[in-house]
Amino acid sequence: MSRLSPENVTIAEEIIARYPRPKSALIPLLHLAQEQDGHVADDAMTHVAELVGVTPAEVLGTCSFYEMFKRHEVGTYVVNVCTNISCQLLGGEELLHHAETVLGVKAGGTTDDGLFTIEDVECIAACTEAPCLQVNYRYRYHVTNDDFDQLVDDLRAGRATDVPEHGVLATVRQRIAGDRLAGVVPPEVATEAPVWLPDPAEERAR
Amino acid sequence: MGLLDSVRGFGLTFGKLFDERVTTEYPAEKREKSERLHGRHVLNRYEDGMEKCIGCELCAGVCPANCIYVRGQDNPADDPVSPGERFGFVYEINYLRCIHCDLCVEACPTEAITESKLFEFSFTSRDDAIYTKDELLVGDDGKPQQLPWEDWRDGEDQHTSAWMRATAPSGDASYEGRVAWAGELGYGTRDPEVGQSGGDGD
Amino acid sequence: MTAPTDADVVPVTVNGVEVEANAGELLIDACERNGVYIPRFCHHPRMKPVGMCRMCLVEVDAGRGASLQPSCMLPCTPGMIVDTESDLTKKAQDGVLEFLLINHPLDCPVCDKGGECPLQDQTMAYGPGESRFVEEKRHYEKPIPISDTVYLDRERCILCDRCTRFASEVAGDPLIHFQDRGSQTQVNTFPDEPFASYFSGNTVQICPVGALTAKPYRFKARPWDLEEVDSTFPNPMGDRVNVQSSRDRVLRIQGVDSDATNWGWLTDRDRFSFEALSHDQRLVTPLVRGDSLGNATDDGDELVATSWAVAVERAASAITASLEAGGAESIGVIGGANLTTEAQYVWAKLAKGVIGTDNVDAQLGDGLPAQVVTALPRNTISDAMAPGSAVVLLVDDPKEQFGTLFLRLRHAAVEGDITIVELSPIASGLGSLVTVGAHARPGDVGAVARAIVDGRTDVEVGGVEPAELQAAAAALAARAVTVIVGRPSVAEQAGPIIDAIAAFTELESVSFLPLLRRGNISGALDMGLTPGMLPGRTTLAEGGEWYRAAWGTVPADSGLDTAGMLEAAVDGSLTTLVLLGADPLADFPDADLASRGLAACRTVIAVDIFASSSVANADVVLPAAGFAEGAGTHTNLEGRLSPLMQKVNPPGTARADWLIAAELAWALRADLGIESPESAWAEIERLAPSHAGATVEQVRAAHDGLVIPRPDDAGADRPAMVSFSAPVPTEIVPVDGYALRLVADRRLYDQGTIVQHCASMAHQSDLARISMHPLDAAALGVRDGDLVRVTSARASIELPARPDRCVPRGRAVIPLNRAGADVRALIDLATVVTDVRVATL
Repeated sequence: MSRLSPENVTIAEEIIARYPRPKSALIPLLHLAQEQDGHVADDAMTHVAELVGVTPAEVLGTCSFYEMFKRHEVGTYVVNVCTNISCQLLGGEELLHHAETVLGVKAGGTTDDGLFTIEDVECIAACTEAPCLQVNYRYRYHVTNDDFDQLVDDLRAGRATDVPEHGVLATVRQRIAGDRLAGVVPPEVATEAPVWLPDPAEERAR
Repeated sequence: MGLLDSVRGFGLTFGKLFDERVTTEYPAEKREKSERLHGRHVLNRYEDGMEKCIGCELCAGVCPANCIYVRGQDNPADDPVSPGERFGFVYEINYLRCIHCDLCVEACPTEAITESKLFEFSFTSRDDAIYTKDELLVGDDGKPQQLPWEDWRDGEDQHTSAWMRATAPSGDASYEGRVAWAGELGYGTRDPEVGQSGGDGD
Repeated sequence: MTAPTDADVVPVTVNGVEVEANAGELLIDACERNGVYIPRFCHHPRMKPVGMCRMCLVEVDAGRGASLQPSCMLPCTPGMIVDTESDLTKKAQDGVLEFLLINHPLDCPVCDKGGECPLQDQTMAYGPGESRFVEEKRHYEKPIPISDTVYLDRERCILCDRCTRFASEVAGDPLIHFQDRGSQTQVNTFPDEPFASYFSGNTVQICPVGALTAKPYRFKARPWDLEEVDSTFPNPMGDRVNVQSSRDRVLRIQGVDSDATNWGWLTDRDRFSFEALSHDQRLVTPLVRGDSLGNATDDGDELVATSWAVAVERAASAITASLEAGGAESIGVIGGANLTTEAQYVWAKLAKGVIGTDNVDAQLGDGLPAQVVTALPRNTISDAMAPGSAVVLLVDDPKEQFGTLFLRLRHAAVEGDITIVELSPIASGLGSLVTVGAHARPGDVGAVARAIVDGRTDVEVGGVEPAELQAAAAALAARAVTVIVGRPSVAEQAGPIIDAIAAFTELESVSFLPLLRRGNISGALDMGLTPGMLPGRTTLAEGGEWYRAAWGTVPADSGLDTAGMLEAAVDGSLTTLVLLGADPLADFPDADLASRGLAACRTVIAVDIFASSSVANADVVLPAAGFAEGAGTHTNLEGRLSPLMQKVNPPGTARADWLIAAELAWALRADLGIESPESAWAEIERLAPSHAGATVEQVRAAHDGLVIPRPDDAGADRPAMVSFSAPVPTEIVPVDGYALRLVADRRLYDQGTIVQHCASMAHQSDLARISMHPLDAAALGVRDGDLVRVTSARASIELPARPDRCVPRGRAVIPLNRAGADVRALIDLATVVTDVRVATL
């Protein structure tokens, strides 16, 4: 839908500066684009490609690998209902069915008001709390049908304050100062091997 | 050698006068042709009228007499000639070279080309001997076209496509009795042929 | 390739037989070299291994027990025991193929690859007889166009990564990429961003299935009705190609992997140029002036078809009339750079040895003098790009004009240790791979080269800052330098380039690769189709006597070049002009002079394959055979001779160029004594100083061609070859602070005759645009797309503008031969450079 806004371009340049190669900033920039529009738009991918110096096809190649980058518009709240084994045994599928009935869309669909997208997901690593779901990747545990109705009401009324809009990773943006970089250097200018690799000189001697 | 010998010699001749005749009044009268006779080719259509030929040139490639010339072309998207991407744009068979071996029929992946029972066709020019796609293609009724110099009789178009290929699944005992042919314009789906396991059409 | 020494050789046991592999060589290559073929899809000798397809799994015991390993990822190590035929290997091959075929549609009968498909072949050879897969296969929209010439059918794709690797590794245009990696992986472009690479056709050739198909060949033929011959594509690099035809029509050109030249690659313009050969506007019959009823009359308004006898007789009588009226100097020959080397020799013999004129020029004011080009010590492409060497670029953008050389340069820059110094006026498509971009201002390149060679790098010279000069000097220091030199802009005279050449000849270790436009230009210059020269890189003065003895006559004095001939035509001293595949109206930098010159000639005789604008105004038109329609020899920029083979017959009554020359000579009551290309070559080998020892048998037999001059001294008794002497340096033109200096360059797709007669390429030629540095554009108040008026001392034209960072400050770039505006109107050939002023409208 849109390219990155001027404010986001400033942030993007800051992010790119953290890495020895611009290309390494690709995924953080895709998150930035998703945060801006709620999904990663084609134009945003083209813009990210320009910023990191690769082709749009390469950006799409990376972006399309990750399920959590949405390349089409999704609802403000993406509800992932787990139907993997633990949740399934404890009523995950029934919960999904209830969600579909309440919101009036099938899994994968978005409500007409653009507020909710329901997805049927595989294990989200909360088996002890089954059945569980995520709203914009924020967990809800032991969800009953009533809990779900309550959740929808809260989200509609803006009462669920811990759930930001889709695409927002965290409410606080981490800023790393320029002098506090990780100290990584590109391989072509590295003078010594990383500590976790054996010393090439020793290797040769052996 | 006496007189009696020549009478005895004619005995066979006169005796045959009263036997059943084995010759026929050809061409006024034709004998029934064998079911698998290889005659002139036809290009078939599916029941919906689409051409079966996809212009793959396998027939031309396999032809030992080099008598087939095929060229394919992109199917027009709005008015496709055949199912799929490609159709036979040019299809010509030179009957001065064809030896009716039927390898083209075997090679055809879509049963587009088959052979009728007609072999009585003679031409007065070389151009007439080269059958074009318009002439080979079955008509709108799905029946072979009768060209002015061809002597078609009733039933000669029958079993045109019911020739069982040696490599066809119905050559395999496990496929016997199953219809292995696509339905075709004018004739629909044909009955399966008997297999090669010795049965006589049970 | 040097023979491996013992230390480089590792013993490997393959199927029980001990063979020698080179250390570091991939197992799959070592096996193939030793006669054991391992099936593969993704492995390609010119690209890095990826191990995508798993087809090359073999059982290998490298000391830790036998296991299945992909042989395309495995460098040979000493004592490796390999079994390519074990039960385990066979089971793996069987399984890989069954998996690959799970989603592969069985539409082989309609697939262009069917019959030459590695997947088909290897399934037959190594695969399971039947599939156990009964489920529905994966479905995608059937072929989608990913560029103007390439279709992609994702259903057929087996994800071998060859096309995507080619795009990113070889061509540097990663516009196709894997998407939706996982169980839904597909190759595709970014939405609405086509695979607009100049090299996209190569992906079709290397695709091991029918996933990528080429539009120009789509459904034209099947592999079994193609006949093929290995030949040479007539471009300056002499790319080796395989020409394939069916029913006397060339239907496909594929690259052939020649280690010396193109490595199997081709540009799309060359690959798909065969479309022009069977264009219905080809000249098929001789034409002469005639009336509207089709009767041949001397002063007719139209060109009418006639017989060869009539046309040749007309041409001969025009030449005879000029000879009688104005002597041999009143006859000129322009063009001939696209002929075979043999035909060039025969035409040189006809012009210089029979007619006796030295007014012969294969270049149309956009080349370099043959006395310079043929005198330079040459290098081969491979040696120029050997590790540790340096390359100086002073040519058109190789990506636009010399694609396969660009790929070699790119590979050397990415993989090898070479430094590239760019002296061309604007940055080339090599982009950041260039070590130093010392983009000399047009007119000043001689001074820039001088400064770099002499080490005077403390002040700015010719628009190049001291930092770049120092970097360039450092990049060339202590390295073997190869200068790739041509004419990067026709708006700059040849003088400054020759000055730069003169400067570089003073380097310690230097050689040259003259990279000029037009297919067989090297052959034309070698064969003396240029004023003052005779076949074999010798001059009139040096070789005159030698050739007089062989030919009977040779012009005494040096003749006129193309510009001189056109001027002589205007003032009436040149009355008959022969155009050998030349189109001065469209191609000569001064269009006005060309049109006045052609109009003033009493007779213009054109030998061509298409009725170009110049041909349409000719008096006698003789149809010539095109590429693949005649045999001969090609000479590339290294001086490499390689055979051009005939594959189809010329259309109509068109004849080979050498035959036309021989017929014309016969009509002039002279016998050239040449009956075939072979007999022409025998004469070249017998006479030309540079071609001694290069027999036709040797040229045909050598897979990578034969570089001349041969190292032996077979030509010792012949005239000396021309040697380089530096001319008086060209004056440097002071910079006009209010003007931009014009660069008139060329692009891959333009209004050229061949491109415009290829259905799949004609529309790819953009409109002319003027590009300048964004800061210059801002200073002039010009935004992207604005229509501007560009004015030189000579004329002014209007065209849209485009800011472009690749253009250095103070310069303006307008491509030649593009629709919309003709940059040639601005250029004055008499001035060293052209300055233009740009104003918004």
